[in-house]
Amino acid sequence: MEAESSTSNQQRKRKRSASESSEKPAQSTWRTDKEHRLYSSKLLEALRRVRSGSGSSSPRTDPPRSRAVREAADRALAISARGRTRWSRAILSSRSIKLKSNRIRVPCPARPKRTELERIQSAADQEKKKSVVLQSKAKVLGRLVPGCKKLSFPTLLEEASDYIKALEMQVKAMSALTEILSMIGGGTEGAPGMVQDAGAGTSTGTDSMPPPA
Amino acid sequence: MSSRRSRISEEEINELISKLQSLVPESRRRGSNRASATKLLKETCNYIKSLQREVDDLSDRLSDLMAGMDNNSAQADIIRSLLSS
Repeated sequence: MEAESSTSNQQRKRKRSASESSEKPAQSTWRTDKEHRLYSSKLLEALRRVRSGSGSSSPRTDPPRSRAVREAADRALAISARGRTRWSRAILSSRSIKLKSNRIRVPCPARPKRTELERIQSAADQEKKKSVVLQSKAKVLGRLVPGCKKLSFPTLLEEASDYIKALEMQVKAMSALTEILSMIGGGTEGAPGMVQDAGAGTSTGTDSMPPPA
Repeated sequence: MSSRRSRISEEEINELISKLQSLVPESRRRGSNRASATKLLKETCNYIKSLQREVDDLSDRLSDLMAGMDNNSAQADIIRSLLSS
C-alpha cells in the first residue's frame, strides 16, 4: 500500500510540478529528471565504493553492508542538496566526524523558537490546547528530520517538506536500481514487491535511470 | 502588542502547512486546510518514517544483490560492469 501510494503520488507529482515550477522554482526541486539522474550516478559511485571497501570477506553478513549502503545513499542524497538545507548539512557533518560524536548539533537559534511559539499561543488563546499538541508533534518531526531538533516552526516545516521530496527521489532511484539489479541477477531477490510490477512497470522504473554505460 | 508579528508568522505557517499538505499523501483533501494542522503534522511524521523504512529496506535489498555479485557468473559480470563503469 505504501509503495503504490508513493508511486502514484510521484506520477501525480510529475504533472503537478510541471505546472507549479513556473510559479516557484522550489517546487520542482528533487522532481526533475536531471536531478534524478545526478543522484542516480552519485548513488552508483557510492555503491561502488561500498563494494570495493568491503571486499569479499563477508558474503552474508549483511547488517554492516546494508548500513553502509544506507549511509552511502543518504550521503549521496545530502550532497545532491548542494548545501541548501540544514538536514543535508547535518547528514554530511555527522558522517565525517562520526568517531567523535554520534550527533552533531547544527547551530540553530533555539531561543527564538520558544518566543515565537509563545507569541502564537498568546495571540490565539482559543487554540491553546491545539498549539500545545502542535508543539509536541513538531518536536517529533524535528527529531525525524536530521539536524532539525531545535528549529523554529516555519523553518522546521520548510526543512521537512524539502526532506520529504528528497526522500521520495531517493526511494525512486533506489527502487529502480534494485529492480534492474534483481532482473539482471536472475531473481535471487524474487520480484521486488515494493516497486511496480516488473512487467508493467519497467518503463516507469527505468526511463529515469541513466543508461548503463 | 506583539499580535502583528505573530499574525505574520501564522500566515507563514499556514502557507507552509498547506505546502506540506500537498506533499503528504492521504492528506490532500481540499476542504480541511486549517482544522487539521495537528493531524497534518502527524501524517507528515508517519510519512517520513515510512519513507525512511523504505530506504532501509531498499538498502537491505541492494546489499543482498551486491553480495550476490561476488559469485562467478555471467550475470554477476554484468552487474559488476554496471557498477564499475
